[in-house]
Amino acid sequence: MKIFVSSALALAMAGSVASAQEALPQQNSKWFTDAQALIKEMVARQPNTHRAKNVILFTADGNGVGTNYAIRLFSGQKAGLLGSEYVQPHEAFPHSALVKTYTTNGQTPDSAPTASAMNTGVKSKNNMINVDETVAVGDCANMAGHEMKTFAELMDEAGKSVGVLSTARITHATPAAVYAKTAHRNWEDNSGLPEGCTAQKDIAAQLIDQMKAGVIDIAMGGGRRHFLPKDVTDEEGKGGKRTDGVNLIREAEGFGAKYAWNEETFEALGDMGNTPILGLFESSHMKYEADRTGEPSLAEMTAATIKALSKNENGFYLMVESGRVDHANHDGNLHRTLTDGAAFADAIAMADELTNDEDTLIIVTADHEHAIAFNGYCGRGSPITGLCYDVDKKGVKHTGKPLTGKDGKPYTVAGYLNGTGSILKEEDKWTGSRPDLTNEQAMDQDYIQQALIPMSSETHSGEDVAVFAKGPWSHLFDGVVEQNYIFHVMDYAVNAE
Amino acid sequence: MNRRHFIVGSGLCALLPLASGLSLEAAHAEDTIKLRKLYNKDLSYSDYALSMEDKRVSVSGFMAPPLKAESKFFVLTRRPMAVCPFCETEADWPDDILAIYTKRIIDVVSFNTKIITRGTLKLGSFTDPETGFLSRVRLVDASYERP
Repeated sequence: MKIFVSSALALAMAGSVASAQEALPQQNSKWFTDAQALIKEMVARQPNTHRAKNVILFTADGNGVGTNYAIRLFSGQKAGLLGSEYVQPHEAFPHSALVKTYTTNGQTPDSAPTASAMNTGVKSKNNMINVDETVAVGDCANMAGHEMKTFAELMDEAGKSVGVLSTARITHATPAAVYAKTAHRNWEDNSGLPEGCTAQKDIAAQLIDQMKAGVIDIAMGGGRRHFLPKDVTDEEGKGGKRTDGVNLIREAEGFGAKYAWNEETFEALGDMGNTPILGLFESSHMKYEADRTGEPSLAEMTAATIKALSKNENGFYLMVESGRVDHANHDGNLHRTLTDGAAFADAIAMADELTNDEDTLIIVTADHEHAIAFNGYCGRGSPITGLCYDVDKKGVKHTGKPLTGKDGKPYTVAGYLNGTGSILKEEDKWTGSRPDLTNEQAMDQDYIQQALIPMSSETHSGEDVAVFAKGPWSHLFDGVVEQNYIFHVMDYAVNAE
Repeated sequence: MNRRHFIVGSGLCALLPLASGLSLEAAHAEDTIKLRKLYNKDLSYSDYALSMEDKRVSVSGFMAPPLKAESKFFVLTRRPMAVCPFCETEADWPDDILAIYTKRIIDVVSFNTKIITRGTLKLGSFTDPETGFLSRVRLVDASYERP
């Protein structure tokens, strides 16, 4: 076997496979020459074994292999291509693997234990963040001593800076896993804590504690309401949720943090230096990219944060979440899933541009997939949010003729197994049939893709997600891995001799 | 107008939705707007909303689960009000909604079934006396149907 590998390598290194054989009739095809060029690149590829100074972990919530595929086609078609041939920034990274996202008690995970796995190196129970699996969900009384150490805390001890960004509430599960330890993900402010719970503070209070302690340097996202008392109205006229009377924003400003709440105050942050930054741009989640106005984009937040964190000569750890790919999937609204997914890709490209592969490990992944599914047999260029058009037997692009089901009605390229788009209606005693549909209706920004099982919200699925990586030790991603393995690659990369 | 032409024409109008399989929504498509047409992206009133104040308009959307039984009030949403246990710890209203005050006590339509509402457009903040619900845009004297 070893001999075989060596000879295959020698053959590839000597030139193309085609040149070692007699000329192939297809060897001038672009498919052939592109693949040959990639072979050369792969053979020449050397692992990057530097110690990672910086680690950036990108997570698009709910962006499994299927959702990522849909974003690829969406961005490609927006760029005037047929779609499938488009390469997203992270898809050009040199290393990748499939990731198993199940949790200790969930075949289908939620975002709490999945983010926890990436930040602590072990799997745990659904709904829990950075608390080990021996504790029952919501059991505040018995969680003491079961809190786990986070990657952010390790990086702080190593003298690095830490940032956390999300388009969801900054107290939402994925970003919370960077700084909080909680027996329930919903305890975003003190009003959610069970009575008599003293073993932990609420998630928002833990963020401010971690900023005060110097573990977290920059935190930006939505979720202002969890930082403000009930009787306080925020800059946009919305009330706080806290029942303990504590104004955590004032508290943060008290220890020197700069606070931003809209695009203008975000831009006014200017050179952030070493000052702690708290950006809270909405009362709840930030707006979907399709609806965004008056708030920074994920790419803008990423750029400003990398520039600030880079001032620490020891390096940094930054977690960036595109939080609302998940929410739009839950709504069954593919348009917003994909526009947020494209904004995620823009943030990745921005981070790649602002960092050096020699010293920065960039990881792009998701926490879980959704019940999204794809129909066939669509011709090339069928709009990913629109109808599935027939394959052109004589050409490349689809024929423009919508394919139909046995019911004679057209169907979309993508749909959901469950959710609010169910064709079964309560008024009709949970029976139904597929409504007629035009491509224009399907491509409307508010269209809800057809679904089967009626649900108040579309669900996650347990299907694999992908991980893409570049930079030091990114070659440790290969094959099919457990989600908690991501922590171990980050940990190995920053400690490598 | 040619009488024969008129009869054939109006007969066609009545029959078209059924005969061609077109929905009522499609037949009304020209005068029914999507809820989003009432707002600009920054949630200010659109030119359309300002121009149609106090006039009767027809708006498509979804009936959010009513806040109160036996009511003449419901909220129309742009997309179905999905209640995602992992997105929200409590029900959060979207910013771009339309409060509907109906002529008759409402028959609840499920939250994910498209409806068309018709009524007189009212702009300006108003707090519902029974539910305390604050709205910025309303339809009053409204009726609705499932297309």
